[in-house]
Amino acid sequence: MDSDLSYQLAFGSYEDALRMVGAASEPRTAATPVSGARIQLFASLVCDGNRSYWDAEFARQTWGGLLAPPALLMGWLIPPPWQPGGRPPAASMVLRVPLPGTTFINAANDVEFLHPIVEGDLLTAVEELVSVSPEKQTRLGVGHFIETLETYRRQDQTVVATCRNTLFRFTPGAPA
Amino acid sequence: MSGADLDWNQITVPVELPEVVDHISYQRVVENAGATWDYFPGHFDPSYAQNQGNPTIYVNTMHMAGFADRVATDWAGPSSRVVRRSLRLAGSIYAGDTMIGRGRAVAKRRDTSVHPPRCLVDIQIQVTNQHGVLCCPVELTLQMPENA
Repeated sequence: MDSDLSYQLAFGSYEDALRMVGAASEPRTAATPVSGARIQLFASLVCDGNRSYWDAEFARQTWGGLLAPPALLMGWLIPPPWQPGGRPPAASMVLRVPLPGTTFINAANDVEFLHPIVEGDLLTAVEELVSVSPEKQTRLGVGHFIETLETYRRQDQTVVATCRNTLFRFTPGAPA
Repeated sequence: MSGADLDWNQITVPVELPEVVDHISYQRVVENAGATWDYFPGHFDPSYAQNQGNPTIYVNTMHMAGFADRVATDWAGPSSRVVRRSLRLAGSIYAGDTMIGRGRAVAKRRDTSVHPPRCLVDIQIQVTNQHGVLCCPVELTLQMPENA
């Protein structure tokens, strides 16, 4: 297991997890504002030539600035792998749900983008624990599905996106 | 590649979108971790991925979503915008796999619940691997420009 703090899972029982349902995180603000460099690195990864990501003048006229790729939404709130001062990166709430599973994989994601997110925006997200499923067996192992709802605001407090995510927290193993 | 913009008024549904094919090398999966800052070890450490029950490292949700968005906006043009996307990770795209994206615009509607009204197109996208396995079904809504 990687020792990176941002993936340090909380362990506990299903009953422990259920007690956390309905809880909301403190607002977390992105470590850096939306930047052209990260927009273009992501567009390059996806091989996406969309002018909204590359053509500053077109993007300014169309969106008010280089457009953040909608798919990179969650990435803005992931802390950098190291920060000065030994400050531990703040882990997403979904990793702090106490459960027995030793690892996780994402299962589903449903996002609504209410307003364009553009270069220079600084995003803040609040995460809420919506539900934790009873134990399920899948091809990967046995575990629980965790549903969260994230609300993203930009610096003027406008809600720019809401993201409902389902993650499978499991212990690897073949079906019995 | 994204060229000219389609006009919402000129679209008839249903219509098939051009297929997008992308080979995902090990380098691309590592680029994925770097570009998204998602250093979950399943995305860069093959032995971790294998201990999870996977053959090797795999792309994350953001990469899958970005590929689906590209299928939609390559077709509609750069003045369109994804306003909703719902996807399910039914299977994984591993290093060495090829992603194939096939989209179909299934409905167009004018959303009058907001002012000014929005011109929307609903698109269904299937991301499969080179074996034809459906890895990620996607439902996506684009807002599109409307010319007078």
